[in-house]
Amino acid sequence: MKCLLIASESAEVLFHWTDPEFQQNIQEQYGASQEEGQGLPAFEDSISTLFAPIIISCSTMVDRLGDNYTSFSTENNHIYVLHQFDECLYIAVNGDGEEGEDDLRRKIYVMKKMIEVLFGMVTLSSNLLRKELRPQDTEQRARLWKHLQSLLETYSHLRENDQSFLVEAVERLIHPTLCEQSIEFLERRLVQQLNSSVERAREEVLHAFILIHTKLLAFYSSRNASTLTTSDLLTLIIMAQNMYPSNIDQDDPGPEDVESTSGSGPESFYTPEPSPTERGSSSSGGLCSKLRPDGRNMAEDSLRTLEVPPPDPSTPRRVFLEVSLKEGLYPMMPHSMYCLPLWPGITLVLLTKIPTSAVAMSVYKFLEAFAKLEKRLGEGQEGSAATRGQPSIHDVRSKLDKFIKALGPRLIHFICVDRSTGQMIAPSLNISEHTTSELGKGPVAQFIKSKVWNLVSATRRYLQKGYSTVTLRDGDFYFCYFLWFENETGFKLEAGDLPILPDDSAPIGMLAWDYYRKLLRYYSKNHQGEVVKCYELLTVHLGVIPTEIILQHCRQLASKLWEPSRNPLL
Amino acid sequence: MAELLQTESRRCLYFFLYDGSKVKGEGDATREGICYFYPEETPLDRQELLCGQLAGVSRCVSELSFSPVRVLRLRRNKFAICMKDDFLWALGCSADVPTVSICQLLDQLIDLFCFYNGSVRQSYQLHSSEALAARWARYLSYLQSGSSQLHHVFSCVRTIDSTNVDPLLLLKAALILQACQRCPLVSAGCILFRGRVVSTQMFPELTMKVMVHESETYTKALRPGAPTTSSPFGGTVSSTTVFLTPAELQYLRSAPVDRDFSSHPAPHRGTPTRTRLSRTLSDMPSSESDRSDPGSFSPHLSDSSVFSPGPSQAAADPPQFSNGKQEADEEEAALDESHYLSFTNGDGSALEERLNGDGDAAGGTTFEQPHVDNEEADRGGAPPLPLPPPPPPHSDPDDTPLIPMTLYLHRVKGLVLALLAEPHFLSNSAAMEEVYHSSLASLNGLEAHLRTVSPGVPGPPGPYMFAHFDCVQSTMTTNLSGGAGGAAERPFVRATSLLHSHFCNTETLQEAIIRSAAAAVYGTRSPAQETFFQQSGSLRNSGIPNHQDSAFTLPGKARHRLLKHGVNLL
Repeated sequence: MKCLLIASESAEVLFHWTDPEFQQNIQEQYGASQEEGQGLPAFEDSISTLFAPIIISCSTMVDRLGDNYTSFSTENNHIYVLHQFDECLYIAVNGDGEEGEDDLRRKIYVMKKMIEVLFGMVTLSSNLLRKELRPQDTEQRARLWKHLQSLLETYSHLRENDQSFLVEAVERLIHPTLCEQSIEFLERRLVQQLNSSVERAREEVLHAFILIHTKLLAFYSSRNASTLTTSDLLTLIIMAQNMYPSNIDQDDPGPEDVESTSGSGPESFYTPEPSPTERGSSSSGGLCSKLRPDGRNMAEDSLRTLEVPPPDPSTPRRVFLEVSLKEGLYPMMPHSMYCLPLWPGITLVLLTKIPTSAVAMSVYKFLEAFAKLEKRLGEGQEGSAATRGQPSIHDVRSKLDKFIKALGPRLIHFICVDRSTGQMIAPSLNISEHTTSELGKGPVAQFIKSKVWNLVSATRRYLQKGYSTVTLRDGDFYFCYFLWFENETGFKLEAGDLPILPDDSAPIGMLAWDYYRKLLRYYSKNHQGEVVKCYELLTVHLGVIPTEIILQHCRQLASKLWEPSRNPLL
Repeated sequence: MAELLQTESRRCLYFFLYDGSKVKGEGDATREGICYFYPEETPLDRQELLCGQLAGVSRCVSELSFSPVRVLRLRRNKFAICMKDDFLWALGCSADVPTVSICQLLDQLIDLFCFYNGSVRQSYQLHSSEALAARWARYLSYLQSGSSQLHHVFSCVRTIDSTNVDPLLLLKAALILQACQRCPLVSAGCILFRGRVVSTQMFPELTMKVMVHESETYTKALRPGAPTTSSPFGGTVSSTTVFLTPAELQYLRSAPVDRDFSSHPAPHRGTPTRTRLSRTLSDMPSSESDRSDPGSFSPHLSDSSVFSPGPSQAAADPPQFSNGKQEADEEEAALDESHYLSFTNGDGSALEERLNGDGDAAGGTTFEQPHVDNEEADRGGAPPLPLPPPPPPHSDPDDTPLIPMTLYLHRVKGLVLALLAEPHFLSNSAAMEEVYHSSLASLNGLEAHLRTVSPGVPGPPGPYMFAHFDCVQSTMTTNLSGGAGGAAERPFVRATSLLHSHFCNTETLQEAIIRSAAAAVYGTRSPAQETFFQQSGSLRNSGIPNHQDSAFTLPGKARHRLLKHGVNLL
């Protein structure tokens, strides 16, 4: 029972997404009066009629009371969260207990963030945005909404399953050699060639990065490029995941998996495709032949799959990202995003300045160059891991295992986040039947996962109210959360007053709204001339361990994790 | 600023009862549906705005979710909602009051109304909405009176400060109640002193409801011009009809009561029940001080000298409540179903005659229906006492029928014995006499003792703050002044409020430490209690995990420090 709705002040539906249960619920309310086979517009009418009184009441409350609804809840625990951005009202509903008020508010903010990245400056004018979100042409509207719906589903799936989307920080894969090689490839080969290419005219690659699932393997930025913010990077990862969903969860395909996979079908028209002339060329053949020594040409298969609906190969995805230059901060600068699947689960993302349609054509020329990278990746992987296309994960995990074991067996889980860079480190939490993690597999791991997810949401509630240290004894577990500041030399700075935010404030995180950037700015006011860094540590221990020992562990973790000399991972 | 202060001291900002059945047609004005609106001075158009919008949105949401709305949140306020039949109640508080607390307050308020008036729909059929408005106002004011910030979080029964009272007195109070319970018509009782519970046999919710009536009559008695009493026999008896839910009644009746003697209707001796009732008290070893006090626990209650007042005293001190209603406005009096009982026709002379003329006080005393100006009196008048009309069968089968009972109150100055009895208790003068006489002397004694207990003077702010909430008895122990020192206490109250919400939402959570720059607060709970503790003094730290951090010594300190407050956290 989930729904997300965007409406204009005149109660016009600008976007809606519903899960099958909610849709069924709406249709039941309309019952016999609804003719079968009327399809989308009829459903849109129903949903708009049902929500109209709420939408109209919202504007009345704003106009006449200067206040607005933030949430409703019912006796059967349905939750409605409302948020007005300019003239657009967002309503998120949950009726199955899977999401709390905070989750729904976060979803609304993330939806808004994705719309900003997709539409840019248009979002600053409600009037223009309304036209963009609700094209007159119903087919066009259906396509756009389907795209947004699938993005939303991809996000929801990641938030529920991926730790880096839980804490909203980017997880880097730590494999120094591979990482170095990849960056070298990106810089020396790919970016240089692209930038010097005549065909692409004035288009310039600003950032290039390689994702393994949602994790960052290598990241290259050109010298004159502005830093890519964590918020934008996370959004781009969602978009890349939406185009090329990881099969990491395929052991346990929930209804959402199916949705998001099928939902991404029409998405492929955005994918740069090889031009017919080049497809038959030797370079393309070379690519395929070099893919797999074992002859299982998965990449070839996937390329072929992509060919099926022949989309416009030269259409990159336009994205609007924050750019900070000497002249100032530009929150929504247009970039072109090229997203190329290198291997199942491995994606190359290129961000270029000032798009021209020619670039996609030339990008394909460099697919051959990618093949070399793929080969290197292929060399680095072994055995069964190859099928999953995550060559280094095995390696990293065993290192992490050793590291954790060294820290003491009673530590069940931890997440450490460097909020200054937006990066996180955590042991993996695989819960499916066929993969095991540090926690084992099956229901126990699932239980701990749900505890970790709840812990993050609880500590955020306290952080929102100004509490930077939280310890909780919950059932058999002891949870700790610490947030602290250091200067560049690693000197621990005194905890100051943190801002106390209202309940309906923007969600604490880095994806939709960068709370930590604001926090750092706020905190730095009293530390002029110093570079302030902000760290977070979450731990889960067994509750039977004496608290003092748990706290000692936490201290060890906090000091070791970010010290390159002592951390075997760095 | 004035508004801000008011907002903080008042628990409830808005309260209204809206009858949707009166606003069905297009032309019906919203005001027709407003049964009661608090604050009453709110301009009507604003009342209409709030009622109309909130009721409209609630209806829409409840239709979408197939369930009544429970909470509506706005940016600045939140409303607890109750939807039943066509009625909608809304209680608005500031956003920082925990949601569980405000929902509890609304339920309490509605329960209170039903307790004294029976079904809401029926009350509005029988009485004018102005008269009922006065009642809502009274209940609301009672629930808000004297409440500190901490009381906004926990709804608790106000008890006497047991640390200042000789435990023997509490035992005596309990024995008085047990003695009264031997009368088969008496279900349960409680003894209150100056608006605080000394001893109760009822569950907390019921005690709280009973206390409202007590405080009301007490307030009336304290009004300027109201007769004051100084005689040890200033006691007055009154009664009112109350309505219990079947569940409440069943709970009361299921309590184990020793009715060995009262279960035999035919007494073997002259006045065996009475002597037996008194036996409980006389069996008690009485201290020297008891004996020296003429009005206190006499070993022989049948000794008429104990409660025979001197004629002059009785004449000078007319019973308090037989005339107390004169001040009430006519409408209010007309609907008030209370039966005020006294031994007199109004001036106390009849009582005096009987008591003086008959050596055995109990033998000759009869209870008469006073000639009060209520509608029941007009109907019957003569003994046996007419009962309030039985509630007509409810039209709505879902609505649980409420069962009328009698609330009997016997006041001795600041002390009140309140008993819940079967409705025909009032018509059974023998039973009433027994109860009255068996308890009178003991009540006098108890009152005299409690009067001399000096109210505990709040000490200077200590090195720590704590609040201990007993979930079973709904009582709170705290060293917070709740008054002038409010500013220093605010961080503690804020943390307590957050932790209480967390405890309510997470069943498995046992203890928590949360720290902001201002305060580190420890909270712990079991099914029976919630305890919160804060050590005063500044906490300078970096927030990085450190087992030597003073915040983590809080559990130990709380266990140690709170022992002397009778709070055992071991």
